[in-house]
Amino acid sequence: MNAIEIRGLTKSFRGMYALDGLDMTVPQGAIYGFIGENGSGKSTTEKCICGHLVPDKGKIELFGKPYTDAGVRVRVGALIENTGCFPNSSVYSNLMMQAINLGVKDRAGEIERVLKIVRMEDNAKLTFKKCSLGMKQRIGIAMALLGDPALLILDEPINGLDTDGMRLMREILVDITQNLGCTVLISSHILGELEKIATHYGIIRQGKMIKEISAAEMDGRSRAYVSVKTRDIEGAARLLAGRFKTEYDGEYLNVYGVDDASYISTCLLQNGHFISEIRQDKVGLEQYYIDLMSGKEAL
Amino acid sequence: MENANVLQFEKPSFFERLKGMLGVDFYRLFHTPLFYIFIAIAAFIPALVLMGGAQGENAMYTNAWQIIAADSPLYVISNMGQYANMNMVFIFGGIMVSIFIGHDYQSGYVKQLFTTHAKKQDYMISKTLLGAFSMLCMCVTYMIGGMISGAAAGLPFQINAGALLCAILGKMIMSLGWASLYTFINIIFRRKFGISIALCFVLGTGIPVIGAAALVGNSPALNIFLYGSSVYACLSANFISVLVCLACSVVWAAIYNILGTIVLYRRDVY
Repeated sequence: MNAIEIRGLTKSFRGMYALDGLDMTVPQGAIYGFIGENGSGKSTTEKCICGHLVPDKGKIELFGKPYTDAGVRVRVGALIENTGCFPNSSVYSNLMMQAINLGVKDRAGEIERVLKIVRMEDNAKLTFKKCSLGMKQRIGIAMALLGDPALLILDEPINGLDTDGMRLMREILVDITQNLGCTVLISSHILGELEKIATHYGIIRQGKMIKEISAAEMDGRSRAYVSVKTRDIEGAARLLAGRFKTEYDGEYLNVYGVDDASYISTCLLQNGHFISEIRQDKVGLEQYYIDLMSGKEAL
Repeated sequence: MENANVLQFEKPSFFERLKGMLGVDFYRLFHTPLFYIFIAIAAFIPALVLMGGAQGENAMYTNAWQIIAADSPLYVISNMGQYANMNMVFIFGGIMVSIFIGHDYQSGYVKQLFTTHAKKQDYMISKTLLGAFSMLCMCVTYMIGGMISGAAAGLPFQINAGALLCAILGKMIMSLGWASLYTFINIIFRRKFGISIALCFVLGTGIPVIGAAALVGNSPALNIFLYGSSVYACLSANFISVLVCLACSVVWAAIYNILGTIVLYRRDVY
């Protein structure tokens, strides 16, 4: 069963289409990385799923039921744009309100549990407005985690976090999907971070889903390449051009379709090219995304 | 996915949903200063009105209970004493409801409510009941403040107890209708806090009904409006007056709740 299934979702604001027949499939248990430029429709999609926006047309199903089903929606946790906490109330009070809202029975126990997950158990009494950005994001996750959610919708949860904060957030998300069986829809611009946790990706452009791909498929498609820096870039490119696809990025000569840097270095040295730098890499999510957006990568 | 389980989704009943929404609203009400500030304001209004009003022969009140309700249902008012009574609670109640709902939107908490509550009528009903409860409490503190102020001013307390009880009961019942109106206004102008609060204030003062009364006179037809029925609950009230208040309050509460729910379903909520 899919956690989210969207077909032909359209949403306009004053005649401008934010979503234009969007299709989306998020398998149950996935960490679905939702990627797109600013204004591409990520937040609009998430808000439609959460019932904050009324779609013009289209179908949204959560776990095989209409998204307006009260039984499903009570199991959706969301962190969209901001945490939705009252700034003058304590962290504990904010969580207590959400626990009451969700009808959680053992509220104190549940709050303790989610605070532990987000490593905030020592900060429960802190007034929300006094929390740092990283803490606020973690509280937002804690709010979303209350009441045994089956689906988490997180809009840019790692924005503004420091390296430690990002690592912690990554650990939390992996933990809740693996141990709690939760499905996570996460949008982010920080593709390097997303790449470390996502099991599926959806790439949106101008309100349309242009690509949905699993992380496994992405790995299969990832092209290995070797980056070389030599004095005579043109000569090196000519030498390798017959056997490999090459591309000069202004600094390095990237040689695609080869996963052995020693082969390239031997070849260049034997032909009198002095190598000042060589490294082996593969095309990651970021490059895949850039290629897809620029049309270099086939849809 | 390997860890995908077969999930069971239990549909919460209407009462379970409402319990959750009401629970969080009341928790907020009792854990923030807003409610306490407004019930304190309600308690002090009678003293302020008495202090600011004329004394001696032109005194606003000749009886302590006139602080609670006017002698007769006069929509066309000739002095402040006929106007300044427990109905003022509904003006301040409107401001309180506006601030309360405004905080929902300002903090973004409303997103949590609408994410987990697919049925948008829950929001309307919960806010209406919360507003009604708050105004009811304000009526009580206004009454206590009025009695203390009246006693301090040396006003007599002689009254027909039955009529007084009907007047107080009638005004308290009107809290429900007023709360639904204010909730509806705040739903309509949810992103324009200033307009919400100004409109609640204007409607709470009863200016439109007083204006209509200036044209049609003291017509009982004005009782179909919230302000009309609120005035109808006066010191000459009887059981029929209470029933009129009940009918007016409940009918308008139903109308505003239905309209508010339609608006929430048809328009973006955040």
